[in-house]
Amino acid sequence: MSDDAATRDTALRMRTWLVVGTLLLVGALLAFIIIPLVQGRAAGIDGFTAICRAFGILPGSPAHPTPVSRATPQPVTQVAWTVATLAAIEGADPKHGAEVAQERCVVCHLPDGSSAGPTIPRMAGQSWFAIYKQLHDFRSGSRTNEIMSAQVTGLDDRSIADVAVYYGHLERGSSDLQNPSFVPSEVENLVVNGDVARGLPPCIACHGAGVGGPIEVPTLTDQHQDYLQAQLEAFANGQRHNDIYHRMRGVASRLTPREIQLLAIYYAGIGR
Amino acid sequence: MPRNKQLVLAHLWFSFLIFAAAATLGAWQMWVRSPLHAPFSNPQTYFISVTAHGTSMAYVMSTFFIMGFGYYVAETALGRAVPGLILAWGAFVVGVAGTVMALATVLAGRATVLYTFYPPLTGDATYYIGLVLVVAASWVWCVLMIVAMLQWKRANPGQPVPLVHFGTVANACMWLWTTAGVAAELLFQVIPASLGWTDTVDAGLARTLFSWTLHAIVYFWLFPAYIAFYTLSPQAAGGRLYSDTMGRLSFALLLIYSVPVGIHHLFMDPEQSTGFKYLVSFLTALVTIPTLLTIFTISASFEIAGRLRGGTGRLGWLRAIPWDRPMVLATGLSFIMLWFGGGGGLVNMSYGMNALIHNTSWVTAHFHLIFGGTTVIMYFAIAYEIWPRLTGRVVGSVVWQRRQLWLWFIGMMVTTLPWHWLGLNGQWRRVAHFDYSDPVLAWWGPWVVVSVLGGLMLLTSAYMFVWNLASLHIPAVTGSAPGPQRYATSLYPTPHVPAVLNGFRTWNLVLLVLMLLAYGWPIAQFLVTPSPGAVAHRMFGTG
Repeated sequence: MSDDAATRDTALRMRTWLVVGTLLLVGALLAFIIIPLVQGRAAGIDGFTAICRAFGILPGSPAHPTPVSRATPQPVTQVAWTVATLAAIEGADPKHGAEVAQERCVVCHLPDGSSAGPTIPRMAGQSWFAIYKQLHDFRSGSRTNEIMSAQVTGLDDRSIADVAVYYGHLERGSSDLQNPSFVPSEVENLVVNGDVARGLPPCIACHGAGVGGPIEVPTLTDQHQDYLQAQLEAFANGQRHNDIYHRMRGVASRLTPREIQLLAIYYAGIGR
Repeated sequence: MPRNKQLVLAHLWFSFLIFAAAATLGAWQMWVRSPLHAPFSNPQTYFISVTAHGTSMAYVMSTFFIMGFGYYVAETALGRAVPGLILAWGAFVVGVAGTVMALATVLAGRATVLYTFYPPLTGDATYYIGLVLVVAASWVWCVLMIVAMLQWKRANPGQPVPLVHFGTVANACMWLWTTAGVAAELLFQVIPASLGWTDTVDAGLARTLFSWTLHAIVYFWLFPAYIAFYTLSPQAAGGRLYSDTMGRLSFALLLIYSVPVGIHHLFMDPEQSTGFKYLVSFLTALVTIPTLLTIFTISASFEIAGRLRGGTGRLGWLRAIPWDRPMVLATGLSFIMLWFGGGGGLVNMSYGMNALIHNTSWVTAHFHLIFGGTTVIMYFAIAYEIWPRLTGRVVGSVVWQRRQLWLWFIGMMVTTLPWHWLGLNGQWRRVAHFDYSDPVLAWWGPWVVVSVLGGLMLLTSAYMFVWNLASLHIPAVTGSAPGPQRYATSLYPTPHVPAVLNGFRTWNLVLLVLMLLAYGWPIAQFLVTPSPGAVAHRMFGTG
């Protein structure tokens, strides 16, 4: 390459840097200095704070703090899905769970996790996160039941996790499906599509493998019809209220009594 | 003529077969969202379909097309065989395996777009690993394109790299830069969380890394269209390229301004400050420069062609342009869609106006018009241009090619213009059903039905395209033997091209500086002040 060409190349390279650098400088001045100063003044923020906010060094909006609520929070559950809680469940001891179950659970829920009656839920194969939350809620009073509330008294977190994992790992029998019978297609539509007009999400949006519901969502398939119906009715009339964000109370209260009954039949009739 | 026709054909056929399948899903999705009753309609199936459609079109079809076209360009423009042929075939196999892994996971319902790139929610790791394999295959292609250029420069010292390969390498460099973001997110955050190796994910960092890739990927798709504008369209129109330098400058500017602007996808996110959001809004506006340069240069090139063909007067040359040639027709239609799509993009990139259309159908309309319209119609034209040289057969008439291009254009406009309008009126994206019985939403119904009709046109056009290509493999279709591939020559000879426009060292350095400024602190903040971390959720296998 000739010297002239090399000189022209160098000059062009320098101009490239100059143009890009100038554009960048203009953009940065607008972004971090000029606009924050102008908008900051309008919002009553001093210049230094406004610039720091533009960089993200100081917290940004709102310019005017919102009033802090002094109302006492009333959480519907004491369970928080922290890393520690999840780790405790992951590392739970099903053998110890079996021992605890032998002492407190098997009379109603039987050692194999089936149940002694149609109003008592089957536990075998249930999500252990779901079992953990419900047992925890019975202990804290978030959910009440004459028998269960008494049974969980005195159980520590570890034992609850152990029992949950013990029952969760049991295989659910499928020989006694109660209602493999016909349900109207509109009920199946409710399960799969919900009803947008009533603000009803589809059941499978949460209750189904791989659909992305909250972690504590229970498995409904192959559950007792009477139990499912009773729970939906309890959510609908507010007797049961340990659902976060009113999710199930909101859903159940918008269902008709017939829909509640048919949904219970539907899920009781589906094997896992 | 390309020396390794099978390599090019394998990539392009895989790309187009995936495209045809994904187009079928797309048309069905429009049907589901409409007031008309669609078969197999339920939200679960819908979101599986949306995920398969998006993954196929955005990652698979585009990547394999770009790789195949790149190999073709390297061999026809540089006159040399692709370096590392075994590597190229190996990358193809890895890419196909990755595609199968990703799509099988989607079809099994273990990864949907509702959560796959929204950590701390995670899908099945198989999906992510499949995507990583596709990207890894494309990295091999990038390296081969760069090596091909370096080898050619060594053998031809002081000579300008052919513009068509210069553009291809610009795209390869850009892709290496841009995939670094999502690769880091997947390898260090999402896949470990999905596999249960980590308990928490810094969602803000993940979103920021994803944004790194999210915008420039659009330019990765778009690059072949720009390459065709500069190097194939003027030739097809019977003219000359108005300026070779303008082409090089546009490719270089696309490289440096497409990558550092991804934070504009986070305008509504809380983890980045307003200053950086404004800065990237400013930088994004600069991306219009190479686009306007291109429109000017190609229009000037077409004017040359028109006047050479006897066109006179201020606009008389427009009529003299041979619009009956598929490449010329596609360029014209592509420009019209670029006008609408680009205008919509200006709204998206504006910090203030973005709030109006964020997560509405407007966004879906924009990227369909720019990618599905402006870009893909040029993929069609490129395929029509190069296919005879791959199969050795020429069709007697291109009338069905023209019909296919027109149908695609009309279908895309009919599909996306109602989306824009409904998006402006608040129609949200990524939902399976609308309640058309709601009086507030009822008027959307007819517009969505119009989009369904547009979708059917697109589907018909997609099948026509595959048929048009397949017909070039049938021995019965014969014609004169195709001539060698010619790329447009410049109106003004360019015996010497400045070094800065004949390589990428300077542009990569400039891009490094821009990336440090645009993404340095936005990423470093997560390391300086680590967040508590959100609990990772694995959205499959429980429930």
